[in-house]
Amino acid sequence: METDRLIASEPGPELESDTMFINMGPQHPSTHGVLRLGLTLSGEVIKRAAPDVGYLHRGTEKLMETRSWSQCVVLTDRWDYCSAMTSNLAFSLAVEKLLGAEAPPRAQALRVIMCELNRIASHLIFLGTYGIDIGALTPFLYAFREREMILDLYERCCGARLTYNYIRPGGVAADVDEGWIAKCREFLEYLKPRLDEYDALLSFNPIFLARTRDIGLISAETAVHWGLSGPNLRGSGVAYDVRKAEPYCGYENYDFEVPVGRTGSCWDRYFCRVQEMRQSARIVAAALASLPPGELRTKAVPRVVKPAAGEAYAHVEASRGDLGILAVSDGGAAPFRVHVKAPCFINLAILQEILVGKKVADVVAVMGSIDIVLGEVDR
Amino acid sequence: MKTPATREAAAAALLERCSDARLAEPGVKNYLTVRLASPKDLLAAARLLKGELGFGYLEMITAVDWLGPMKLEGLVSSRNPNPFTDKLPGPPVPPAAGAGAPYRPVLDLLWSFGNLRDGVKVFLRLEVPRDHPEVPSLAGEFAAADWQEREVYDLLGVRFAGHPNLTKILTPDFINGHPLRKDYAHEKDSYDGD
Repeated sequence: METDRLIASEPGPELESDTMFINMGPQHPSTHGVLRLGLTLSGEVIKRAAPDVGYLHRGTEKLMETRSWSQCVVLTDRWDYCSAMTSNLAFSLAVEKLLGAEAPPRAQALRVIMCELNRIASHLIFLGTYGIDIGALTPFLYAFREREMILDLYERCCGARLTYNYIRPGGVAADVDEGWIAKCREFLEYLKPRLDEYDALLSFNPIFLARTRDIGLISAETAVHWGLSGPNLRGSGVAYDVRKAEPYCGYENYDFEVPVGRTGSCWDRYFCRVQEMRQSARIVAAALASLPPGELRTKAVPRVVKPAAGEAYAHVEASRGDLGILAVSDGGAAPFRVHVKAPCFINLAILQEILVGKKVADVVAVMGSIDIVLGEVDR
Repeated sequence: MKTPATREAAAAALLERCSDARLAEPGVKNYLTVRLASPKDLLAAARLLKGELGFGYLEMITAVDWLGPMKLEGLVSSRNPNPFTDKLPGPPVPPAAGAGAPYRPVLDLLWSFGNLRDGVKVFLRLEVPRDHPEVPSLAGEFAAADWQEREVYDLLGVRFAGHPNLTKILTPDFINGHPLRKDYAHEKDSYDGD
């Protein structure tokens, strides 16, 4: 019969299913916060994807204009709350540039240690939650067990576990003692075999590979075109890392590699982060070994920060990409304008392009691999 | 092997190609900033940077509203921060903004272009009047401009001509106006000091 033939010869030329619009989020477990994806589907294939952000917009850039420079550091913690140290650092570097000051050597080394520990903690959250997105629940429990040890180290040093307010203009807030350094070394030793364990458990798991290896391909040109940064850019094979391109806090003195992916698939972005954890552990070990003595805050940054009129831009390699702060001063007690070049916000925009043509089942795999934190997307 | 791109060479090429462009002094500290004379030059400058000079990575688009100065009394708190003692004097009341700040009724736009191969970047500057802020969109040249231009439009009200979808992105739909502009007076509420 005529109809039988049509059904048998898939895909039938006349068989067009109606398009359907579905909302994914804003309350969806895989959006890691409040993000809405408006998906237009034709059958199972995505025709159009429109990420809708702003649910967490708290206007921190505006709030900063009515707070003194040192009060603003507290607000930076609330952007990327999985990696608050790097946000602290970017803002502090911008203020220091405005003032023409530089943190003392011990503070610089402590900043490197804390930021790299934070990168490990942040990538552990990614590893755990990405596993959950794909359907592997167990690595999450392991990853959070390791992250807990980093949070304990932070708590012991600065008293906070999530929003640290530790790195401040001019230096850092608190010193570490011998006991802390021993604990930190102990953690690094503990972490190394765990990373191999993750590779066995998740990275080279055949099911995980099948769900991520050829999914969400981003070519190097596309990644640069969309302004991606961090592991998302490096996953596509572009070896751009702010720590190498414009070293800050003495990163030029540490020996580390910049892992890059080959095809720009979800798995490449995932594996870049896994390898970055090894490199971060290496940097922390080197920084602990060469931790110089000395003071923690430079006298060049006064208690009441009041930079002369001018503007400065500082950027750091945060856990999720190139985080930049443009700080404009009019000579007053508060910033005249602060702009945050938020990597998550810029990375997220590419979903509009790479989700088109994918199957519904791959949306979560692709979105998870971009690794966003909505606090930084919306600021 | 091509010679590495330098920001000086890029700035020189920009100055040569765009009429009346000049180096901004002082620009963004430790970076080279080229100030364009008119919105007409923007597309040409962006294409020159991307096509010929290798600055194909649009890092940042933002703007500063230079209407000023802001009145900070009651905002940067002058209250004693310690509620358990009334003996300590509070921090000093912040003085008014310093002289020398270039207040003027303009929106000062800023673009940052990066050359990933050589790790250098160049800033572009362009001033537009507050009452008619319109510049050409770079979304056709750089996909990275898509959301960042929407952000600047939403928060500062700059219209990007030629943008495919210039709509609000961060603020809720019911909010009229552009919150990062400087013409809002703060109303004191219970969160402010005395």
